[in-house]
Amino acid sequence: MLEFFRRNSVVLTSGSLLLLSLLLLSATAGDRRRSDPVAAVVLEGMRPLQAALSGGLDALGGLWRSYVALVGVRAENDRLRQRLLELEQQATRVAEVEETDRRLGELLRFRSTLSGEAIAAEIIGRDPLPWFGTVTIDKGEADGVRKNMAALSPFGVVGQTMMTSAHAARVLLITDHNSGIDAMVQRTRARGIIEGALDGGCVMKYLKREDDVEVGDRIVTSGLDGIFPKGIMIGEVTHVSRGNRGLLQLAEVKPSVPLDRIEEVLIVRGTAELREAVP
Amino acid sequence: MKLRSSLVFGAIAAAALLLQTTVLPVAPLGRATPDLLLIICVYLGLHQHTVGGAFGAFSLGYLQDAFSGSAAGLNAFGMSLVFTIVYLTSRRLWVDNTISKVAVVFLASLVKTCAILALVAIFLSADGLWRTVLRYLLVEAVLAAVLSPGVFALLARTQQLQEAEQE
Repeated sequence: MLEFFRRNSVVLTSGSLLLLSLLLLSATAGDRRRSDPVAAVVLEGMRPLQAALSGGLDALGGLWRSYVALVGVRAENDRLRQRLLELEQQATRVAEVEETDRRLGELLRFRSTLSGEAIAAEIIGRDPLPWFGTVTIDKGEADGVRKNMAALSPFGVVGQTMMTSAHAARVLLITDHNSGIDAMVQRTRARGIIEGALDGGCVMKYLKREDDVEVGDRIVTSGLDGIFPKGIMIGEVTHVSRGNRGLLQLAEVKPSVPLDRIEEVLIVRGTAELREAVP
Repeated sequence: MKLRSSLVFGAIAAAALLLQTTVLPVAPLGRATPDLLLIICVYLGLHQHTVGGAFGAFSLGYLQDAFSGSAAGLNAFGMSLVFTIVYLTSRRLWVDNTISKVAVVFLASLVKTCAILALVAIFLSADGLWRTVLRYLLVEAVLAAVLSPGVFALLARTQQLQEAEQE
């Protein structure tokens, strides 16, 4: 008996770990926004490295762009090339600073349209798997970020915080299939739930068949879920399918936020209010 | 796996995860991201025929779960399954040249993705997820296979250095 266990120890261990994985999965499948202390420790431990690598990547990108821009002038003499390189690097730096300044200015202007506390955070990591939509931000509980807070940008809704550690947090993007936001059509006030569709878009479900929804309609948050302030832009309707029967209709929605390019977000509580319309 | 060896593999896994969450998602590969942790898992299945290897594979998956929007256990299951299949295969088949290892990584990527897809369908009921996954299934498997010789060489070199140090 002992010999059998010894001879098959690897297979038995693997089998046990497979079972453990299934148990873990069945325990957490109902609520992916669970509190996982181990994951929080891992997230916290990797945060400085992620932030450093993201920063280094930006710097490297700047250098690379400068280098590429100069490949064609190799025939020039060394002095001119050196001078040009310096100027190009300077121009890249200035352009980068201007771009950052513009983005932060937009964020600040957007911040002034919201009442209540808002925390500006930088995105330092993205989901390692392409079929889930989450990002890691560089602010956590020490900065006031808690689970189930809204992540917004000047363009509209980005997602909601699903997990926090002391100095980092993970945000569930609106395009993730597990995301659900109470929303309404701005023009007709028809209500539904916005869910992620994974292909970079969203769908608005549970719209009554008789509700007036058209392509081009703007979808905004209803504020009824207690996570998102009311009236924040989510996206625009690109297609409406009513089908032949049933009581409901479905609208495909293109998010107003370019989620793959966004670099900063504002984290706010659901109790915050919009003082003026967001463009 | 011995403690020191585990720490080295842990450090390599952490570095791979860092690359996978920062550099690779912004690389011009569309939405596909090569799964570096999977390559490490296959390496464990091929070369670490120990209980430690099995725990290592599970830990790789759990690490991926911790950084992903997935439910805990999803990738842990996928990695443990890949380790088990690769381990059992390598005991019966000769998998020692580069081409066969690349083929194993390619197949392992398909197995892991299909296993995850099945679990998502059972536990998470995500409508339409399979469409997105299928779109990237082959691209991701090819990317992992292409990167595998480099990762294998790095891991083998690290192991050789450790063994030489111990001697």
